Amino acid sequence: MNTRVLRQLLGKLGGLLLTLFLASVLIFSAMLLTPGDPVFTIAGSVRPTPEMIAAIQEQYHLDQPVWVQYLSWIGGVFSGDLGTSFVYKTPVAELIAPRIGITALLVLYTLVLIVVFGLGSGILAATRGRAVDRTVLVTTSFGMALPTFVVAILLIWIFGRVLGWFPVYGAGSGLLDNLYHLTLPAISLAVLYIAYISRITRGAIVGQQHAEHVETALVRGIPRSRIFRRHVFLNASPQILSVSGATVAGLFAVSAIAEQAFGIGGLGSLLTEAAARKDVPVVQVISLLLVTVFVVLNAVVDVVIAVIDPDSTKPRSLA
Amino acid sequence: MSDFVLELDHVSIAAPGADGPLMLVEDCTLQVTAGESLGLVGESGSGKTLSARAVAGLLPEEFTVGGTIRIDGEDISTVPGKRLRGIRARRLGMVFQTPRAHLNPLRSIGDFMTEALVTVAGEKPDAAERRAIELLAEVGIPDPDRRMRQRPGDLSGGLLQRVMIAATLAMDPPILLADEITTALDVTTQEEVMAVIADLRRHRDLAMLFITHDLALAGAVCDRIAVMQHGRTVETLRAATMRQDAVEPYTRRLLSATLPADVRADSTPPVEPVLVVDGLRKTFQVRSPRGGREEFVAVDGVGFRLAPGGSLGIVGESGSGKSTTARIICGLEAADAGSVTVKGEDWTTAARGTAGRRRRARIAQMVFQDPYQSLDRRQTVRACLREAVAVHRPKASRGELDARVDELLGAVRLDAGLADRKPRSLSGGQRQRVAIARALAADPEILVLDEAVSALDVTTQVEILTLLDSIRRTMGVALLMISHDLTVVRRLCDHVVVMRSGVIVEQGTIADVLDDPRADYTRMLLDSIPHDGWVPRRRIPARTTALPTVATTTTRISPPGGPK
Amino acid sequence: MSVAQLAGGRVPRLARRASARDPLVIAAALVMLLIAVIAVFGPLMAPYDPNQLYVGPVLSPPSLEHYMGTDDLGRDIYSRVLVGAAPSVIAPVFVVILSTALGAAIGISSAWFGGVVDGISSRVIEVIFAIPGLVLAVLAVSMFGKGLIAPIAALSIAYIPIVSRLVRTAARAELGKPYIAALRIQGVSSLAICFRHLVPAVLPPILAQSTVGFGYAMLDLAAISFLGLGAQPPSSDWGVMISAGQPALLTGAPEQSMFPAALVVVTVLAVNILGARVTTWAEGGDR
Repeated sequence: MNTRVLRQLLGKLGGLLLTLFLASVLIFSAMLLTPGDPVFTIAGSVRPTPEMIAAIQEQYHLDQPVWVQYLSWIGGVFSGDLGTSFVYKTPVAELIAPRIGITALLVLYTLVLIVVFGLGSGILAATRGRAVDRTVLVTTSFGMALPTFVVAILLIWIFGRVLGWFPVYGAGSGLLDNLYHLTLPAISLAVLYIAYISRITRGAIVGQQHAEHVETALVRGIPRSRIFRRHVFLNASPQILSVSGATVAGLFAVSAIAEQAFGIGGLGSLLTEAAARKDVPVVQVISLLLVTVFVVLNAVVDVVIAVIDPDSTKPRSLA
Repeated sequence: MSDFVLELDHVSIAAPGADGPLMLVEDCTLQVTAGESLGLVGESGSGKTLSARAVAGLLPEEFTVGGTIRIDGEDISTVPGKRLRGIRARRLGMVFQTPRAHLNPLRSIGDFMTEALVTVAGEKPDAAERRAIELLAEVGIPDPDRRMRQRPGDLSGGLLQRVMIAATLAMDPPILLADEITTALDVTTQEEVMAVIADLRRHRDLAMLFITHDLALAGAVCDRIAVMQHGRTVETLRAATMRQDAVEPYTRRLLSATLPADVRADSTPPVEPVLVVDGLRKTFQVRSPRGGREEFVAVDGVGFRLAPGGSLGIVGESGSGKSTTARIICGLEAADAGSVTVKGEDWTTAARGTAGRRRRARIAQMVFQDPYQSLDRRQTVRACLREAVAVHRPKASRGELDARVDELLGAVRLDAGLADRKPRSLSGGQRQRVAIARALAADPEILVLDEAVSALDVTTQVEILTLLDSIRRTMGVALLMISHDLTVVRRLCDHVVVMRSGVIVEQGTIADVLDDPRADYTRMLLDSIPHDGWVPRRRIPARTTALPTVATTTTRISPPGGPK
Repeated sequence: MSVAQLAGGRVPRLARRASARDPLVIAAALVMLLIAVIAVFGPLMAPYDPNQLYVGPVLSPPSLEHYMGTDDLGRDIYSRVLVGAAPSVIAPVFVVILSTALGAAIGISSAWFGGVVDGISSRVIEVIFAIPGLVLAVLAVSMFGKGLIAPIAALSIAYIPIVSRLVRTAARAELGKPYIAALRIQGVSSLAICFRHLVPAVLPPILAQSTVGFGYAMLDLAAISFLGLGAQPPSSDWGVMISAGQPALLTGAPEQSMFPAALVVVTVLAVNILGARVTTWAEGGDR
């Protein structure tokens, strides 16, 4: 990778950091835009006395100017102080720490399913002839209409109630038991994404199969398998990667649905509960976390694409 | 065993159509003997490219091929798939029109060159690499080691085309299929590439099927010529005597289009010019390949005059700045320095507001290169012309507008029945006529034609040029014709300006400049145009290694399983 | 090279598998029509009061009196599904309309004005895009409380980037075409160029995206309701019903969840089929 590419990549990453910063400002301002005084949410059902109000304001920095509040919030994020929950009155960090692991495992499990079945079926659809292509097309058409909560209840009914093969509640304990418990939730999350990634993959590959440089390789008699690997798939991968990256980044957020359906105590269910009870600090921190994951994932994807195709970092020429 | 290296015998190609199969090629019949070069000439839709693709096996599955194709006397429809692939890999070399699209942008030139050698011929990687470098040198690519490590994005179109040719030589094929290989290149680069091919053919006894729309080019570089029209081979001729031997009316029409038109008489008395360009300069900020910004001088100190009702051609290759100059005149770009004066008025800065633009519209109009994108595809011809007319006659009634539209259609010799069609059902020539009609709607005094006929078939070009000439004579419109093609300019213009890299190299009357050029560059341009008796010559000084002949090629490629 | 390229311009139409008379597309269109009818006339079509408790035995299977059975509070599921169509189907329409209108405006302005306008709006779009739609919706709910209003507003904003990027690309492509330059030289006003030429050119991809976007919006809103943050009981929004029916699943009465789930799937499937058809139509314009 030469310096030009490196420079452009750094530029892009800088842009992503700026985006992250602006997103954090947006998320932070949620607190300010909330109607009503947060003091009352914190006080809960008790009607606060003036002393209570002052104490609450001091504890939550509510009496400071806006930008100071933002800075202390962001500063807190970097130093590990993630604020205090309005509802539980405990540090947010303590609330989310035990839950991160299980959500991460769920997402990883789902990711594996998506890559194996999504990518795999897409490649099969593009390379194994009409019949396979149509089958995958029909299947993915259905898949794209099956959201997580629908698949969840289907799986609960079939595998929980009727067949009893998998547990339908909780996350279990210990890695193997976790995986056992997370199988149905992971499948429920994965179905929609598998369908989508399958289509994208197929489209990108088929697009490359008709590319002119593939024609050249064909006429020269280069074996089909090699053409597929080094000309079709390689050239399709930047496209597949960038779309997949953006899609998968949203996976973390959507896991909340599976967690709700299967009673898993992860980040997502905490997010849902907190939102229902207007516990803004918790929602803010988790939102910031999810956005950071999104940005980081996109950055990683950009770097990988730059390695495969350094010219992709070249900007469009001026007309 | 016939001595035809390639034979097409009543080949037909059909595509699946909405109402039954569509015959794209009805009857293509030709033979190529070993070592001979056959030119396959036709306009768009003639089926020449499809026929070549049928030989190479590059047609989509849905297409059905009838008739017989024989490679080395063997009917390829009787050959099983795997062996056929092998035959094509070893006996055919194919080079396409746009080399950049035909090379994998993600892989290096070295990868591309050695791939076939390693995977098909079973060469070891080092030997393959050495052979690749030899081949690159053979086609005259300087510094081949460095090029091996570069990627297609780092090379120019001309170099890439030579790389493609070098790659086809790797398997020492007896026949080269060349599909419009120089169409996308500048005329001087074209000469280079054709010179390389001529050398290769001499040293390797290579047969060639040379597909092109340019009959003059084919006539100069081929032994025989097959002419195709509407999917049929119409006539086959010996190139050396094609002008005398041609019998078919279509062939004769093609031949007459390649002749230079009569030199125009210089009879214009000195008059106040309608357009004066003086000291024009324009630079663009572009990203340099190393990152960061760079200044690109597109136009530098350009000046010329256009007489009212006159016709001036601006000629140059790509990057000469001719298009930028035209765009500045029409207000699409702003000049950095210099002046543009139209009818005594200063047009150097852009027109202010819609009213300003409208005023200028009545003086200068432009016709663009791409007939397909020059019209809004959602509008019918009538709607398009009506809009153009209504801009300048806001209070006219519908009837008055339509009357003017009919008038315009007549001026461009377009049948009024076509007025209610959309551009999609018109041919390229018809669309360009609509574009001209639209330009005339404002009743301009200057008509700028930016490569306006470059995208059209040769026979259509002649029609449009004739039309433009008659418009000039009857309406007194001055023509400013931008073109890379000297033949076109010769047909239409009184005066010519030759540009190169943003500078004017030479200007004067057609007779002066084209018959007795003073500048070296002009002479080089003229020499690069294929004409009767033309022989392409390499201009870049000789390579460091001499051309290998077949006998001295050290790495002889043997197919696995013994020589054929 | 594509088949169309090879056949070269002269060919008006090659055989296409997707034609307007494709039975699948017609079926999908009919389904959508039916769903729309139910959304509007649901309350009139319902045999029972959807909120009336104990009109039948609790959790009974489908029967002649109750086509879809009854739920855990003895309410008629069929009636609830019919009445639930309105919030389930109309809310996404709002999301689509709002996001499309704003996204198209931003996209066209970006393409038209370029420069600073483009730079700033691109950055804003990127920031919105970085926040997953669900997160934005949850954030909105935590600020403004549960119900459909907050999620609708949030999703409308979250969907803007998709539309605006699409429109910007299409508009830039169109503005780069020579006929636009010709119109400028003609002296046609900028406004006329924009509305008479640019907007009609950009409309097909917008329509295609709207159709597909409706499906996504429906799924997202149903998911939010499923989480308990969107429509609230006693509303019979389908997402709410699916969630409420979950306990009954394990005791052997799936109807409360399954029927609304089936309707969600069928609707989205129909939308996807139509969306694919509209997309093919939208892309088939050039040449």
